[in-house]
Formats: sequence, structure tokens, C-alpha cells
Amino acid sequence: MKKLCTLFLALILPVSASADTALVDRVISNHVIPRFQTLARTTAQLAETAAQTCDLDNGQVISDYHAAFDAWVGVSHLRFGPTEVDDRAFALAFWPDPRSKTPKALYKMISEEDPVIQLPANYSQASIAVRGFYAMEYLLFDAPTRELGHGEYQCALFQAMTQDTAAISQDILDDWQPDYAALMLSAGQNERYQTEKEAVQEFFKAALTGFQFTKDTRIARPLGTFDKPRPNRAEARRSGRSLRNVVLATEASLDLARRLGRGDETIQSRFDRLEHVFTTAVAKLESPVFADVMDPQSRVKVEVVQQSVDRLLEYTLGGLGPYLGVAEGFNALDGD
Amino acid sequence: MTSRRGFLAGLAAAGFAPRTTWASAGAPACLAAARTDTGGYVLCGLSGAGEVLFDIPLPDRGHAAAAHPHRADAVAFARRPGRFAVVVNCVNGAVRARLDAPEGRHFYGHGSFDLDGRYLFTTENDYEAGQGVIGVWDCAEDYRRVGEFASGGVGPHEIKTLPSGALVVANGGIETHPEAGRAKLNIPLMEPNLCYLSTQGQPLETLRLDPALHKNSIRHLDVSGDGLVAVGMQWQGETGQVVPLVFTHRPGEQAVFPDIAPEVYRRMLGYVGSIAINNAGDRLAATSPRGGVVLGTATKPRAGEPALEPYPDVCGVTFGPWGRMVTTGAGQVIGGLAQQPQHYPRLQWDNHLVRI
Repeated sequence: MKKLCTLFLALILPVSASADTALVDRVISNHVIPRFQTLARTTAQLAETAAQTCDLDNGQVISDYHAAFDAWVGVSHLRFGPTEVDDRAFALAFWPDPRSKTPKALYKMISEEDPVIQLPANYSQASIAVRGFYAMEYLLFDAPTRELGHGEYQCALFQAMTQDTAAISQDILDDWQPDYAALMLSAGQNERYQTEKEAVQEFFKAALTGFQFTKDTRIARPLGTFDKPRPNRAEARRSGRSLRNVVLATEASLDLARRLGRGDETIQSRFDRLEHVFTTAVAKLESPVFADVMDPQSRVKVEVVQQSVDRLLEYTLGGLGPYLGVAEGFNALDGD
Repeated sequence: MTSRRGFLAGLAAAGFAPRTTWASAGAPACLAAARTDTGGYVLCGLSGAGEVLFDIPLPDRGHAAAAHPHRADAVAFARRPGRFAVVVNCVNGAVRARLDAPEGRHFYGHGSFDLDGRYLFTTENDYEAGQGVIGVWDCAEDYRRVGEFASGGVGPHEIKTLPSGALVVANGGIETHPEAGRAKLNIPLMEPNLCYLSTQGQPLETLRLDPALHKNSIRHLDVSGDGLVAVGMQWQGETGQVVPLVFTHRPGEQAVFPDIAPEVYRRMLGYVGSIAINNAGDRLAATSPRGGVVLGTATKPRAGEPALEPYPDVCGVTFGPWGRMVTTGAGQVIGGLAQQPQHYPRLQWDNHLVRI
């Protein structure tokens, strides 16, 4: 009966136009800005620490790296506007990299002692494959890369990477506030967002694509096939972050999806249940880098995690989408 | 006494099967794949009035089909990164052959026959090399794979055969890898092109657009009666940036952009899902399922105002002697000889409408 009432209310009280803008405002203030602030702060901290030591095993360097990477994964679903200017998001996170462009380019760079690192400002001219968190991971955690070239070069390279990453993160934040936030809040009065609904839809798509990337790429890559599991293809396995990234990315998309569905009890309780299914499934995994995929019995547990993300994706599409009035069509969603 | 059925079976066994031409399949005007309301997938033949003449079950979601020039054979491709395609006999619905992508390759969902119908050419991904490949299949040998050659770029999507017999390929420029799902791996570095190739794989000509448009994926194609190529693009750069999405090209000449105002392109949301050009080569139509609009325009600049028509989730489009026809994900078939749109509530039409 309660469900019926909710449905009835939804029919007679469609979310009004100004409610859309109020919703966008809350999402920007409580989800987008705090997360990009964290990214700017943690990447600046990492650059500062890196500037003070050339010891790449230093505990502070490692913990700052993890904090900054956590912050990136927490915004990795917000791939529109400021993150897409000058390929910033790609420069922070060049992954997946199935043809190993990052290690190949790093090998060349370090062996030839490429002078691009001499001025930090120059590093933005370097190949996208040697920038950002995944390139840094090779310098911090990959033994063969660590053995290349001279220690001083590696140190200077790491400093250049951290400064580049901090600069990009600050640029994204600076673009978000006030300009891009103002653009989304004036949806309906600008070219980019011609109706207020389009700004809501932008966030809806961000939540969807976040779940989708986690399911189809972060989890599906190491799963491979039953006959050919691919644990070596897990994201950030060298730093032991594969599962952590899945959890953080899913929580980030879910936080956004919940905020979009705020005010509707059915949606909230459904997300609560689906989150419980997800965290229960994650708790059963033993390996932080999806080594479970090798063993047929524990492999099933990884598949269950993948299914739980798929259920979040499906509910966002089929439950949240219609509530927001932004459902995507059969062909429109396909992208081919 | 010999029954008719037994007589025909005997003929078939002896290799005397009557040729199954498109006429014996009810002379469909075009083909389209669809999802049914029960979750299955079918390939349909449509008349020029938009009537469904036949529907044949498919094993999975189809993307596009390729129609044999004479025989009632349709090749239905799975959507990318599909590893198989099926050749169906449109007279009786039987699967004539199954095409399996070789090790290290997957299909992109499009293919084209040569002029006399001997060979089928398919766009494929050599994903370990990150390079596009055209697979060659011999129809005279039950669609056996007989070779492959470079597509001239990365991420080849649609392929068509020109009246001259040459092939034209839309190398979209986007690198993908099946283990990375549908993730796009090289957006900052992508370099799409339009490549003309002989059927032996010799590159004849390659067209690249202005470097400022390097993130404009050249993706869909159609060819007029005298070989003018219409191209539809998908913008991979910053959302909201308005760029041209269609042009025409003739080998040896420059690309020609029809006069389309930025506000028209803006409503297409940087995305052309399918493109068609008429036989005379003076009109083209491009659909945007994201914008829910069909763009109709003269191919030449300054030849009349372009028109945008709204149809929710529109995607398939083609021209024929019966005019222009479009299909939508909501089950509509609009245009052709029919006065009124045909509505098939049980069918969601998939991306492409393929003229026979």
C-alpha cells in the first residue's frame, strides 16, 4: 500500500523545474566540490612530501600516494566538464592500458633520461601514458622499473609527476568553482544545458557510467574467462589497490545516486539493500588484488561482487532514471 | 510416388537448389534488427511501406546487417565486441553459415559485400596490435575466411562498397580492447580517417580532417548511386562543444560540409548514430538517438535549409526509391511509401536500417 501511495504521489507530483536546480545545487555542494577539494588537497600534499625526499619507499610518500589515489577514485565517475578539458582525467588516470603503453613509455623515458622532467611545467607536455597515478605506481611499486636508470632521475621524475598531478587537480577544482557550478545551476539559460533536466541527467549519467566502468573494467578485466582468468590485469595490483578501488568507486557512484534520489523512501531503501548485498559480497573476498579469480571456487565470489555492482547499475537505470524523468532510450544508451 | 517436398530435397542434395533470391524472400526493401518484448532478438525484412515481411530469430543482440547483392542472404553481426556473425537465409530463416572471428580479432558490427557478391568484408579489431583489420570471407565456400588486410587505421566501424568496386572504411580512431569492456583507451591520441581500399587491400586514398577535429570519430557511412560518400561522426571531445557531424566526400576531392547551423548540431549532442544518402546524392539524413532527432539536409552548401525532425530514440535510417525511412527504439517505422508511421509495440528497432 505504501508503495502504491509513493507511486501515486510520483504521478501527480512530478519533480518540478526549480526542484531540479535545487537538486543540482545540493549535489554540487555536497558531492562534487568536497570530493574535488579532497583531490586537490591530497595531491598537493603528495607533491610536497615528494619534494622533500628522494626515498620512494618512505612511509609518508606511500601513505600520501594512497590518500591521493583514493581521492581520485572518489571522483573518477565525474567525467564531464572540468575533468575533460585538455584531457585532464586521462592525464591523471591512464587506465586500462592493455597494450602496456605506460611501462613502455616509462622505460624509454628513464633509459634515455628524457629532459622533459627538468622544469615541472614541461611535464604537461609529456606523453599522457607517463602521467598520473598509474605511472607513479610503477615508480613506487614495480621492481623492474625501479631498477632502471639512475636514482636521481627517478626521484626527479616522481617529483615532476606529483607536481603535474597536483596542478591538474587544482585546475579541475578551480574550473568547478565558480564557473562550472554556475553553468550547471543556470541550466535552462545556457547553451550547454538547455533545460534544467539536462543538468540532472548529467549527474545521472555520471552515476551510471561509474557503476558500469567498475563492473565492465575494474572487475571484468581480472575475471577474464573461466578458462583464462587474468589476475595480472587487475587495476593497480602493484600497489595492492584493486579491490579498494572497486569499493571506493562503487561507494562514490552510490553516494551520487542516493543524493539524486533523495526524498524518495523506496529508492533509498532499495539502495540500502543493494549496498548491503555489495558490501557483504566484498567482505567474502580474500585477495585485495583479485587473486581469487584463479581458483574456481573463490572465483565465484568475485563474480558475485560483479553481479552486485550490476544490480546497482540496473536499479539506477530502471528505478532512479524514471523517478528523475531522465530515462535513456534503447539506442541512446548504446553508443555505437 | 515422389512428394514435392522429397523432390525438392533431392534437388538440393544434388546441388540443384533453385537460387534463393530476394524476390523469393518477399522482396524486402531493407533489413533491421530488433529486440522483442520477450527479450529475444530478431532480424526483420521490411517492405518499402514499412511492413514487416519476415522475422528471423537471432542468437544475441544484433548491431547491423549486411545484405548480399543478389542472394537472400543477410549477415547479422553481434554488437561489438562481438566474436561471431550469422548468415541467415531470408527465405526460410535457416542459418546458412556462422562466422567466427579468428583468435585475436573481434567484429565491430558492420560488413559489406563486393559488387558481384563473391566476397564479404568485415570490420575487425586486431586488439593486441591496436589496429583495424578487414576480414575477407568467401561466399562461394560457405563463408570461409580467406584472408584479411589492414583497414588503414584504428577502430574501423562501418564499411561500404563503392559503385567502382572499391571499399570505403570509417576508421573511427578509437582503440578498445575486449578485456577493457567498451572503455575507450586512446581518446587524447585518437586519429580517425576515411580510408579507400581496393578489395585486395591496397590503400587507395586516406582522408583526415583538420587536427582540431581529431576527436571527431568518423564512424558511419553511406554511398550514393554515383559513389558520393556521406559520413556521420561522433564527437569524443568535451561535451557541449559544437562541431560538424556530417560531411560528404568523393575520392580525389575535398570533404564538403553541408550548411548546418551550430544550433542544429547542438541538438544532435555530438552524436550521429546512423547516416544515409539518397541515390542521386543530393540529400542526406543523419540520426541522433541521443538528441532524438533526424537531420535532413541537401548535401551541397547553400542548397536549402536543413530540417530537424524529433523522434524519440531514433536511429536507423536509409533512402530508397520509396523515399526516406527511419526506425526508432520505440518500435516506429516512419517514412517510405506509408502515409502514416507504422508502430510495432513489440519491437525495439536497433541501430541500423540496411537497404537491400
